[in-house]
Parts: sequence; C-alpha cells; structure tokens
Amino acid sequence: MQTLIPSLLTSLLYLVVFGVALGGRIKQIEGIPYLEYILPGVALMNLVTGSQMNSSWSVFDAKRERYIDEVLIAPMSDLQIALAYSLGGTLRGVVMGAGVLLVGAPFVGVNIAHPGLLLLIGVLSAFTFSALGTMVGALATRIEHISFLTSVVIQPLAFLGGVFYSVGMLPEALRIATLFNPIFHTVDAARYATLEVSDLNPYPTIAVVFLLAALAFCGAWWAICRGPNLRY
Amino acid sequence: MNGTPALRVEKLKKTYSTGVLALDGVSLEIGAGKFFGLLGPNGAGKTTLINSIVSLARPDSGSVEVFGRDAYEEFREARRMIGVSPQEINLDKFLTVEETMLFHAGYYGVPKDKARERAGELLERFALTDKRKQRVNTLSGGMKRRVLFARALMHDPKVLFLDEPTAGVDVELRYKLWGYIRELNHGGLTILLTTHYLEEAEALCEEVALINGGRIAAQGTSAELKERYGAASIEEVYLKVVGRDTGG
Repeated sequence: MQTLIPSLLTSLLYLVVFGVALGGRIKQIEGIPYLEYILPGVALMNLVTGSQMNSSWSVFDAKRERYIDEVLIAPMSDLQIALAYSLGGTLRGVVMGAGVLLVGAPFVGVNIAHPGLLLLIGVLSAFTFSALGTMVGALATRIEHISFLTSVVIQPLAFLGGVFYSVGMLPEALRIATLFNPIFHTVDAARYATLEVSDLNPYPTIAVVFLLAALAFCGAWWAICRGPNLRY
Repeated sequence: MNGTPALRVEKLKKTYSTGVLALDGVSLEIGAGKFFGLLGPNGAGKTTLINSIVSLARPDSGSVEVFGRDAYEEFREARRMIGVSPQEINLDKFLTVEETMLFHAGYYGVPKDKARERAGELLERFALTDKRKQRVNTLSGGMKRRVLFARALMHDPKVLFLDEPTAGVDVELRYKLWGYIRELNHGGLTILLTTHYLEEAEALCEEVALINGGRIAAQGTSAELKERYGAASIEEVYLKVVGRDTGG
C-alpha cells in the first residue's frame, strides 16, 4: 500500500490542479469536458512510471546485492527471466493505473466506452515500459542511471505525450515531434478506449503500441543475456 | 546414472575482460556421491570454476557435464541438479527466511505444498524455525550462512557446491556445519567444496584438487598427495605445490 497510495495521491492532485484549475479556462477539448479528457492520460502516466520503476529497481537492486545470481543459476532461460521481470512491473503498473481510474472515474463522472480495449492498452503499455525498465536495470551500473530514466526520459515524455492537451493544439513542428513520443501513442489509444476521442486514427495507434511492446521486450531479453555485471 | 560422473569439466578456459586469465584449461572429474575439495589461494580460480559450471560466468572454451547433461546445451536439466551455497551472502534483504526458501523453490519448479514441507524440514534442521518470519537482514552472519545452506538444498539437488561455506563463522558453527555436510554426503549427495581452510579440506574431503593460477596443480586423495609430495599434512602439500607454482 505504501507504494500505491503516494502515486494515487499524486494523480489525484494532477486531476484537481489541472482539471479543476485549468478546467475553468479550458472547458472542453473535442467536445469532452477537460477533467474527463485528462483522466485516461493521468492514469496512463501513473501506469507507465509505476511499471518502469518497479522493474528497473527490481533488476538493479538484485544485481547490486547479487541475489540475482540465484535467478541466473536457476533452470530458467534468459527469455523467461526477462519475461518474469517485465510481467512483475506490468502488474504493478496496471494496478496503479487502474487505481487512478477507479478513484477518478466517479469523481470525474466518466463511463469507459471500451473497457476491454482499455485493459488491453493498459496491459500493453505497462508491459512496454516494464520491459524498458528491465532493460535499463540490467544495463545500469549506477543508481543514477535508473533515476535518469525516470526523471529525464519517462516523466518528460509523459508530460509531453498529450496527457493534458490535445496534440492538435500544438504548432505543426511540435505535433510532428510528438508522433515520435511512445507515451503519446499509449495515451491516445487509452483516450480512445475510454472516451472514443483520439488525435490519431485509433487502430494504427494500437498497432504501434503492440510494436513498442515487442521492441521493448526484445531489448529486455537482450539486456538479460548480455547486460554488464550480470554474468562474469 | 550408474558410473556417470556427477561432474565432468574439460579444458575450461576463462579470461575476464580485464585480461585476467582465471581458468587455464581446467579439467576435472568428480564421481557420484564423492566429497571433493578444491583448494587454492585467493584468486586461484575456485569461484570462477563454480560460476562457469552454473553459467554465472561465460567460459571462453571447454565443456561441463553434470551427470552426463551438458551444462550449456541442456542447462535446465543440469541446473536442476545443482545447488549452490555461495561465498558471498546474497540474500534479498526484503524477504523473510521462509520467503527466501519458498521463492527459491519456485525458481526450480518445486510445487508449493512440497516447498512448504521442505522449508519446514530444512528450517528445523538448521535451527531456523523460530526465525522463519524474520527478515534476513536482521539475522546474524552465522544465521545468514545457514539460510544460504538451507536455500541451496530446497530443490533437493544431486550436486552441492559449497563455496567457502564456513568463511567468517565461529568455530562452534563451523563444526556444526561440517557435521551436517558430512551427513548430506553420507546420504548420497555429491559435494564440491572450495575452501582455503586446509584443515576443513583434510577433515571432510575424500579427494582434493589444488588450483593455482587457473590451473589444477595437483589432485588426489589426501593420502596420495601426502605420499607424492613427502608431506605430513595437506597444509605441507599445499605450501609445496603453491610455493612451487609461485616460484617460492
């Protein structure tokens, strides 16, 4: 609970500060009340940061304290080990994202349009960033590398991924740059699943999310096979 | 498995990225049910040899078989037969003693009910029952060593690697651990013990290999080695062999 509650509170703060404060100025985006509009993105943001932090720290701490040796000498393949760490972070991310939705949805008053699709997007997004976290945890040689991932890569990408605004509100150059932000695609797909609005055509976006998950997992698998300081 | 050696290592070579030659074509064979000791000074290659067998280190060349199973091609079958009590204490400090044992069993595919039963037996055997719910980082060094032992046995291995098992423990615990190790070996478990405590090797091991500079410098039973080197004790053999190898 001590890991879930702080992130839940942070997300609710975003809803209150951005939604209530800015919601008075930005009444609607694409016909959706602002508070409702940002809820899926805030949940995704929580999911993404939670999943990658869980797996990156899990792998890094295990490597630092060498209790990862127990896993490496067990009768498991590197693929299984990478999958195990990635799925562990996925579960945490999904729980954290779901927590925001469960608490925020009644508060905001939103009904989820496609719950099954939202679950799929949530699981895939959590898996993608958990796999990324696994890769970074396996490759990192210092704690600063893990912190770097979270504070310099993930959080900026999350804030710039269309969580609090529509990409259509940006100048052309920034709109194009946003297309290269992986978190934007997960947020856009989640927004479609929740509210049936999106900046891009939803089905290619969902395909991109699948592709990101596959690529991230390949990275995690490679890192478990070849990461420095894992094997001697 | 009759007649199949528990462990066969052939021409194992390993050079670390720093350029240190850790294993220089090491070959050895340990018969099933034997108690084999690997002696050598610090940096001789003892831990590297164990790590290479269990895939914690990637050897440059050579082969390893565990009861006839290739340790790299048939790694699942080979690793399932090996238990390791490492030199350094590598317990997850956030887990309790019981969780440590049960998680380990999970890595080896031991069913949960069997794992609980086995954990109970081992906790009792190692006098850790009253510590089962305690986090491992609250235990003394000697208790942590016992947890390492117990953990290595959770999946009922056929070969047990003990890497400096009594390093840093008090005399009383050392003798207790010796007693338990002997009992395991009498029950049929093949044991490879690495140590630089010569009296430990002499007291426990049927056969001993001396490793120095990544090479097996001498091998045989205690009696054979003493006769070969005209020594009264393994310590004398060790000093003659290691001293000769280092030009001393």
